[in-house]
Amino acid sequence: MTPNAAPSPSGSPGPSRRGFLASTAVATAAVAGGMPLLAACGGADKGSREGTTSGKDAKRLLPAYVAGNVVTPDIPSKNGSSMGFTAKLDVATLKTSVPRKLGKGGKVTVMSPFWGSPPKQDNPYYTSMNALTGVDVRWRNQDGTTYDQKLGAVLASSDVPDVVVVPGWNMMGKIPSAVISKFADLGPYLSGDGVKDYPNLAAIPTDAWQRSLFGGKLMGLPMPASYVTNIVPLYRQDVFQREGYRVPTSPDEFTALCKDITNARAKRWACGDMKWTAFNIWGVFPGSDKPLWWNLVDGKLVNRVETDAYLEALEWTRKLFAAGYVHPDFKLGKSQATDPSAKFAAGEFLIYNNDISSWYGQRASQATQNPDFRIWGMDLFGPDGGDPTLWAAEPAGIFAFVNKKAPESVVRDVLAVANVTAAPYGTKEWMMTNYGVEGTHYTIKNGVPVKNDRGNNEVNNAFVMIASPASTLAHPDFPDITEGQVAWQQKMGGFTRKTSFWGLQITEPSRYANLASNFEQLEDDIARGHKKISDMQRAVSDWKRQGGDKLRDWYRKLLDENGPAAN
Amino acid sequence: MSHSTVPRDGAEASTPATTPAQSGGSTGSTGSSTGSTGSPRGRGAGRASLRHRFRRDRVLILMTLPAVVLVLVFAYLPILGNVVAFQDYDPYLSDNGVVSILNSPFVGLDNFRRMFEDPAFWNAVGNTLVLFSVQLLLFFPVPVLVALLINSVVRPRVRAVAQAVLYLPHFFSWVLVVAVFQQMFGGAGMLSQLLRHHGYDGLDIMTDPDTFPFLLTAQSVWKDAGWGIIVFLAALASVPTDLYEAAAMDGAGRWRRMWHVTLPALRPVIALLLVLRVGDALTVGFEQILLQRDAVGTDAGEVLDTFVWWNGVRNQDFGYAAAAGLVKGVVSIGLVLAANKVAHLMGEQGVYKK
Repeated sequence: MTPNAAPSPSGSPGPSRRGFLASTAVATAAVAGGMPLLAACGGADKGSREGTTSGKDAKRLLPAYVAGNVVTPDIPSKNGSSMGFTAKLDVATLKTSVPRKLGKGGKVTVMSPFWGSPPKQDNPYYTSMNALTGVDVRWRNQDGTTYDQKLGAVLASSDVPDVVVVPGWNMMGKIPSAVISKFADLGPYLSGDGVKDYPNLAAIPTDAWQRSLFGGKLMGLPMPASYVTNIVPLYRQDVFQREGYRVPTSPDEFTALCKDITNARAKRWACGDMKWTAFNIWGVFPGSDKPLWWNLVDGKLVNRVETDAYLEALEWTRKLFAAGYVHPDFKLGKSQATDPSAKFAAGEFLIYNNDISSWYGQRASQATQNPDFRIWGMDLFGPDGGDPTLWAAEPAGIFAFVNKKAPESVVRDVLAVANVTAAPYGTKEWMMTNYGVEGTHYTIKNGVPVKNDRGNNEVNNAFVMIASPASTLAHPDFPDITEGQVAWQQKMGGFTRKTSFWGLQITEPSRYANLASNFEQLEDDIARGHKKISDMQRAVSDWKRQGGDKLRDWYRKLLDENGPAAN
Repeated sequence: MSHSTVPRDGAEASTPATTPAQSGGSTGSTGSSTGSTGSPRGRGAGRASLRHRFRRDRVLILMTLPAVVLVLVFAYLPILGNVVAFQDYDPYLSDNGVVSILNSPFVGLDNFRRMFEDPAFWNAVGNTLVLFSVQLLLFFPVPVLVALLINSVVRPRVRAVAQAVLYLPHFFSWVLVVAVFQQMFGGAGMLSQLLRHHGYDGLDIMTDPDTFPFLLTAQSVWKDAGWGIIVFLAALASVPTDLYEAAAMDGAGRWRRMWHVTLPALRPVIALLLVLRVGDALTVGFEQILLQRDAVGTDAGEVLDTFVWWNGVRNQDFGYAAAAGLVKGVVSIGLVLAANKVAHLMGEQGVYKK
């Protein structure tokens, strides 16, 4: 592809060139219709698909913020952490945050990533949620591990579901431009005071909404998140205590511990694929959303793949594999979905890294069959064992988009569902969304709700993907885990800084869309010993030559116009 | 002669179906099929005989029409979509694929240039050819041998049971096959644990890039070799028993009977399947490889089909992926023609006859 070939035309012949900010307003006005021109004829319609929206333009689009104040958290948010609720939850006195059903009974299909094995459509959780929202939500759950492989094809088809959930880390290649052309502008429903029809959505923090601005429009319903890294190195606390293992505080200690633990003959390995943790230890810029890959270092924008830390982290991960400390299943990579949780529970390996939610999820799902099972998160450390340097994740990482072709009634129904799923802790709606139906999915034991197997299976993913309240950690059945999670976030949050484009939703020009698409694969190949560090160095210099340096200039211009992220 | 034309037309109809990945040749070959109906002109039949023959065969022609329409709609029409190989195609421009194609900019041969300069593409080509050769050598003869073996079993019960056992794995999905292999031969699988218990090192066959072609072939043999014997068994069943008896009378032993009676009987079938397999050379098992690609890394595990999939579906670089697919299709046609030619030279029928 010639670097200067005209990028694909957007849905509209907008008059803007490659300007962002101010021009987005014009572009938005011009979106009103009209057939796309052949790029050869126009060639000037790039504006509405690339760049970002911030400042005054953003303010005009963002929903008003109206705090909820249903229950005050026991541990307030600090250092970017979630709020924690640890006090006993009295299920009998839950408040109601949605007094009147807003749903009009329409049918809404939702495609969403699902980690685990999805339940059947007509399970009691989905049906009672549908009854609560007044909307007939039909789920098309897809395997979350390989979601990126399905998303592109579904969006390219003419059969896009009413709602599509897209995690930020799947916004690779041309997905961002697909988002802009395939999904509905929610601005008319939610911008400014419009959101007040949906009080629970109005209580979603503004920086989460800021991330929902795509192509100068308010498009996604966000899942607010703590900006502290969501990847926690989790370990089997019970086995550690029994065997007298000490939680490591440096990479060397970690490796030494791995050596102690590994005993392949007894079918025990030390850990899983620790790549994500290695990136955190070495302070590599985040690898999720592409704008986070860049940071201003000594006045120059540097991409994560250009840093020494990136290579060192990969090398350390590779060594763990090469030394045989990693459970062999992890060598298969993600193309063969091997759910690690069962083998972790069986003690085949003792350390792995995963989303912070597994800290609770694993414990809860093992509670009945395996009551001695204990899982805990270990603190991250720096490469020399000191304090780590961590980089902030986005304040909203997962979005639910509404199909552009959906009629207003469907959009309203989706917002009605979102208004229920975004209900804060301490409400009946939160309880139903996160715990399901009493008696079916959980029972009250010693005054706290405890999920049963059915609850662990059915009340999982799905509805929480359609908008959530301000990032909350609350597990009434395991308050100690809530405490541990929030404490971990607050401690790690103290080491966390923000990269230059943190918090902005940025769409790169489509000619650079696939520039970095193969890095993840290359990382995994190197970790597994199939490629060498020198292959990565070559890939990085190719990347620079093929457009990485031009992309740097593009980001530089963006930075000059927007200023660095609020810090 | 009326008898000869009918099967020939049948063969005509089947060739386009086996080579769907044709490109610009699409209109050409539709044209050529009508042309070839008229081609016996040269053999002396006149213009009038065309109309005559049409009237004579109209029932047969009517009968094939639905199939022809299906082939046109589902095999030929989509071929036009290959035009995106010459575009910077963006499927998200519109909900309608045709509108997206009309609005995507043309980039000439850029995708092809980029592809021929892309080491990843050549790596995929190399892996594909290696895999094809290994499979041809190690997989192709297996069903023949197994068929001979089964055929030599006299007791019908034993034979039925053996056949059932051999056919069964064909109905397992690749996900299941790979999972079974992982449980048996993976790094934490049965074999490795057994070795470790006896003081040896574990053996991770599933993630070794060097032996990957053999692993794939072993999986294919386990899954599909049994299924592959059906054709050969049918061919064997058609060998007249008096040939064996006559050979035995002349003092031919077991081996001589196999060499002089059985194998010649199988020869046309073997040649036909070989031609078909060669035509499919660049297709070496997409699902099976995709499932294991990450386990051995892209250096060993990327083949043309996964290359197309990765760039098209995963990276949404559809123009580029289409270019790779197009090249694969064109090369495949060449291979079929070449293999068929070789079959003719060896005196076999091949897939079609001139």
